[in-house]
Amino acid sequence: MSQELLLYDIDTLVESIGKGPDAVIPILQAIQNKYRYLPQAALQRVCEITDITPAAITGVASFYSQFRHQPVGEHTIHVCIGTACHVKGAELVYESFQRFLKTDPITDTDPSRKFTLQKVACLGCCTLAPVVQIDTVTYGHVQPEGIPGIIQDFSKFVRKTATKGLKRNTNHVRREGEIRIGLGSCCIAGGSGQVQEALLQTLSEQNIHINVKRVGCVGMCHQTPLVEIALPGKKPVVYNKVQPGDILAIIHNHFRPRGIYSITGSLNRFMDSLIADRTDTEIKKYPLDMRDQPVAGFLGPQVHIATENYGIIDPLDLDEYRRHGGFTALEKCLLHSTPDEVIATIKNSGLRGRGGAGFPTGMKWDLVKVQHNPDKYIICNGDEGDPGAFMDRMLLESYPYRIIEGMIIGAYAVGAHTGYLYIRAEYPLAVRRINQALDNCRQAGILGNNLLNSSFSLTLQVKEGAGAFVCGEESALIASMEGKRGMPRIRPPFPSEQGLWGKPTLVNNTETFALVSWIFRHGAENFAKLGTLRSKGTKVFALAGKINRGGLIEVPMGITIREIVENIGGGIAGGKTFKAVQIGGPSGGCVPAELADIGIDYEALTGVGAMMGSGGLLVMDENDCMVDIARYFLSFTQDQSCGKCTFCRIGTRRMLDILERLCAGQGTEQDIINLEYLAEKTRQGSLCGLGKSAPNPILTTLKYFRHEYEEHLDGYCRAKKCKALITYQVNDNCNGCTRCAQNCPVNAITLIPYQKHSIDTSVCIRCDTCRQVCPVNAVEVHSCAR
Amino acid sequence: MCQITINGETVNVAKTSTILQAARQLGITIPTLCYLEGLEPFTSCMLCVVKEQKSGKLLPSCSARVQEGMIIETDSDEVQAARRDALELLLSEHIGDCEAPCQKGCPAHMNIPQMLRQIAAGELDKAILTIKKDIALPAVLGRICPAPCEKVCNRAKIDEPVSICLLKRYAADANLDSSVSYIPASLPLTGKRVAIIGSGPTGLAAAFHLLQYGHACDLYDQNEGAGGTLRYGVDPDKCPASVLDSEIAVIAKLGARFILQKTIGKDIAFAELRGNYDAVVLATGVIDDSLAALTGVPFIAGKGFAADAKTFVTGVAGVFAGGSAVRESRMAIRSVAQGKTIAYSIHLYLQKKDIAPLAGRFNSSIGKLTIDDLQAMLKLVNTGSRKSPADTDTDCLTAAEAVYEASRCLRCDCRKPEGCKLRQYSEEYNADQKHYPNINRKNVELIDQHNTVIYEPGKCIKCGICVQITERSAEKLGLTFIGRGFNVRIGIPFNSELAAGLSRVAEECVLNCPTGALAHKKGEEKQ
Repeated sequence: MSQELLLYDIDTLVESIGKGPDAVIPILQAIQNKYRYLPQAALQRVCEITDITPAAITGVASFYSQFRHQPVGEHTIHVCIGTACHVKGAELVYESFQRFLKTDPITDTDPSRKFTLQKVACLGCCTLAPVVQIDTVTYGHVQPEGIPGIIQDFSKFVRKTATKGLKRNTNHVRREGEIRIGLGSCCIAGGSGQVQEALLQTLSEQNIHINVKRVGCVGMCHQTPLVEIALPGKKPVVYNKVQPGDILAIIHNHFRPRGIYSITGSLNRFMDSLIADRTDTEIKKYPLDMRDQPVAGFLGPQVHIATENYGIIDPLDLDEYRRHGGFTALEKCLLHSTPDEVIATIKNSGLRGRGGAGFPTGMKWDLVKVQHNPDKYIICNGDEGDPGAFMDRMLLESYPYRIIEGMIIGAYAVGAHTGYLYIRAEYPLAVRRINQALDNCRQAGILGNNLLNSSFSLTLQVKEGAGAFVCGEESALIASMEGKRGMPRIRPPFPSEQGLWGKPTLVNNTETFALVSWIFRHGAENFAKLGTLRSKGTKVFALAGKINRGGLIEVPMGITIREIVENIGGGIAGGKTFKAVQIGGPSGGCVPAELADIGIDYEALTGVGAMMGSGGLLVMDENDCMVDIARYFLSFTQDQSCGKCTFCRIGTRRMLDILERLCAGQGTEQDIINLEYLAEKTRQGSLCGLGKSAPNPILTTLKYFRHEYEEHLDGYCRAKKCKALITYQVNDNCNGCTRCAQNCPVNAITLIPYQKHSIDTSVCIRCDTCRQVCPVNAVEVHSCAR
Repeated sequence: MCQITINGETVNVAKTSTILQAARQLGITIPTLCYLEGLEPFTSCMLCVVKEQKSGKLLPSCSARVQEGMIIETDSDEVQAARRDALELLLSEHIGDCEAPCQKGCPAHMNIPQMLRQIAAGELDKAILTIKKDIALPAVLGRICPAPCEKVCNRAKIDEPVSICLLKRYAADANLDSSVSYIPASLPLTGKRVAIIGSGPTGLAAAFHLLQYGHACDLYDQNEGAGGTLRYGVDPDKCPASVLDSEIAVIAKLGARFILQKTIGKDIAFAELRGNYDAVVLATGVIDDSLAALTGVPFIAGKGFAADAKTFVTGVAGVFAGGSAVRESRMAIRSVAQGKTIAYSIHLYLQKKDIAPLAGRFNSSIGKLTIDDLQAMLKLVNTGSRKSPADTDTDCLTAAEAVYEASRCLRCDCRKPEGCKLRQYSEEYNADQKHYPNINRKNVELIDQHNTVIYEPGKCIKCGICVQITERSAEKLGLTFIGRGFNVRIGIPFNSELAAGLSRVAEECVLNCPTGALAHKKGEEKQ
């Protein structure tokens, strides 16, 4: 790329975005979109032609994880190390990619510069864990030995898409009815993109003209991809775990073929082995009846408010949203209620902030309303950074109008006329859908001046976050929107007094806004009927981990953890024992199975040392090591700490040091004492919620699973998870099939056909490949106390 | 206005004030590192925490605003513990030695690196001040000292240690040879008198320092000449008597009286001495039990007088004992060091103060240096190998040789040992650097592409004061935070040189940097 061309590009790009200091993040995002990294010359040029200083651009570009400073390979492999992926072995997957691609430790790029390897905090496909995304293609249930196959498959995919476009037949007579396909991010991750492509292609080839409708998240992420065929006069039929190769058969089930076709049944076995759940011995696909027991269990205890009309409405179909009562709540507020009455309703509903801390929403609105400043802002916090949660993403993708409606009502109540939806850049689909929904609203007169013919005006727009967990904290989020490093500041003053640009600002979580319209349509008292004394309504959770059925669930407050795990989740997978749940992600805590009968409630969770948090709910079984879990969360928070205050910046690092020593079997009793002390001090001494809550995973695991910490001092890991404390051995089941030896990446097993194999523990890197490929369960993992 | 209570005192302050401002109004000091008046509080170091009693919360006082009715405590045990915790965390990643290993290894704790820099700069008049602050007899010791300092010199890990001992001798000789040899200034006479029994290294050193405190000293010795083992137990080829005489002459000029050929117990009774003097020092050298018994001072049979290892107080009030009279030592520097300590103890005793050892300062320590650390340090100094004197007869360094050799010093000590607030508060709050071990510490890094300033990222506490100063002054590049979390650092935009980042406000940044991270290249000079 020539220098002049680059400068010219930068100039045009800046021209279209703006030159103020707050334009820095959008400018950097645009540069990266263009060059796939941030060339220094480009940044220098930006400083020459804008008000952005070199210090500011350097500080911001290096703060957010989205930005890359080195050229990258042709394709980027995102290895998800979110919580659910972590417990299912994401680290082993990452290391296997490193070994297989021989990536450079600094650039993380392979020698041919084709692939760059990158860890990502969460792709939001927790039910498919471990997950890997190469460019736009997502692979679920990845195991180390499957990696060569993934690379091979991806290369095939690249060749294919380069030559083939999607065919569509435009000359048709429409049939009644519709085919619905779930196209939330997790469905897409589950392969519904390919399924949709195959569906459209098949319909076109078969000359069948019927409306194919994308619908938002159905919540049953463990069953994706889902295809539902709804024909007039017939009961809708849902197919789960559909593969592209199944489409022809499904179509033939419902539509008479207009010619003779042979259904070969030649499913794409290769794809199956990559995407399908490996715990299933055979991949079965069957029409899924909603009344079937497992599904009734999954859906039965749920109450859908934020996720009302799940799986039925097209996320972007404004008319459909209105047919289902959309924007009637807004009309009611705008035309028949004063702002004070609106706030009173919210107060009566008992709604509390769903971002984690549970501050009463009505009170927050009041605090902004009473400010006399004519300039106020409203912000929807969609910077969901918890590595095991994807509720906000799903809500933004599936119910954009509901969130917008909630925001407009909030803006009307507090008197804000400008608002922003701050959404993680890692959620491209959510950003696209919200932008489209905002456009549709503007055109329909639902946003803008005198909206819905009222005297109220509001403009809303999207601001993309750039990858920083700490920006979920409202003062950091505001700093980020102002084009600064996302560093929290001391509160008070709270944003309600001095927020964005120093003006009164209402910041609410996405889920909070998504609940608002229901409250007005059904009445505050009906919302308040749900839940416990102090926690009203419902809560959305991302249920993942070692359960049979994971997914996005919305449950009434007060439901017990056990009900969620056993009824909705279908119990622990593989006949293992339920050990604990981790609620609230890095800010939350581990609640042991013995306490699973407590109801979900802000105070109840805080009482056991956990936290409602953002809504990640990870179920763990006997194979999960609690010291390792604490280490995992600390490695996340210390990486995501903004680095400002001493306790968080260094305290989390020192706690991680201790946990790493413990997991390596090198800990001492003093380490445990120091860890507990430092956890308490970091909780007290940190400036913002990130640091204050970062010790929760440690404090709760120490409280409920102290014996596991003590066992690690003796070199024993009961879950057989901590690499330094385990050894692999071959038992007498071995039939000499040589698969372990063939797959071992470090040649720790000598290949001797028809004889019992053995593992050289001094060479073995504990990558678990041999155990997974062994057909006769001959590989055992041991850990013994010294 | 708004009323709050701090440490039991009530104060009315503006609603917009911070707790720190309110405390200052009451004259209450709260320690701060990252706070600088005139800049936006950054709230990073957390040293300024105070406790609000009603909420039970610890608040950073630099930025926490007052609220009506707050009850603040600024100095409770809990607050002090929290400050110590913050300091210990900051220290756990502090890559720097306050004092160099040579200074720590020197029994007299002489500021060797400063002496080396002064010699390298040709400032011999300053070098002798540095030396004589701690060592009474440098010309003698420059000839006979086994140089424990050189055994711990970091330069030895690259090639050979700096020739510290010979350089000290060079500076001391040069001073003795000059027209006016250095006589330290003394405080006004106190009228107190001290008898020193024995004029060996311990006694001479004790006198040297006691005289500077203004106390008169009489040195008793059984021999014809003063100096004890330095005169009678040293090979004259190594250390001619004339050198010893010159250094004794300096002590005599300070006002010492030498009463020679007098043996205690025979010529003068010990009790008589005690009656005639305000304090007595037993610096007899190795003493046999029968003589020791005559003094009535408790002793350990076959060893010597029983004295406190840090203050050299004996069982008898006003009587102090040190050197080989307590425990035999062949290292004269140790005796000289004890003489200095005894002088300090006596000084306290004569002022009727509690006798406590001279407190060592807080010392941050990097621990073992790696090859990478050493290479980084080597880049800034003379890389040549150790130079032995060309004149093998006298074994004296020439001026050129001395400058060359002194400039081999790696400068392991901090450039801001006195100005560093981290050190000051670590001392005040008794922080333990090893409480949270730093297993994977970063390497020593020295960024010196600047005329006057050097930046050591390993000493930075990320307070951002320099970032704000450069921003305020509209430096073209300035300094900025780079990265996030534990790995955040202060750097210059676009990987530019330090000089490009700090063009106008370098001085201001050095002055306000709370640690030695930004310092003058030449460092502080201390006396």
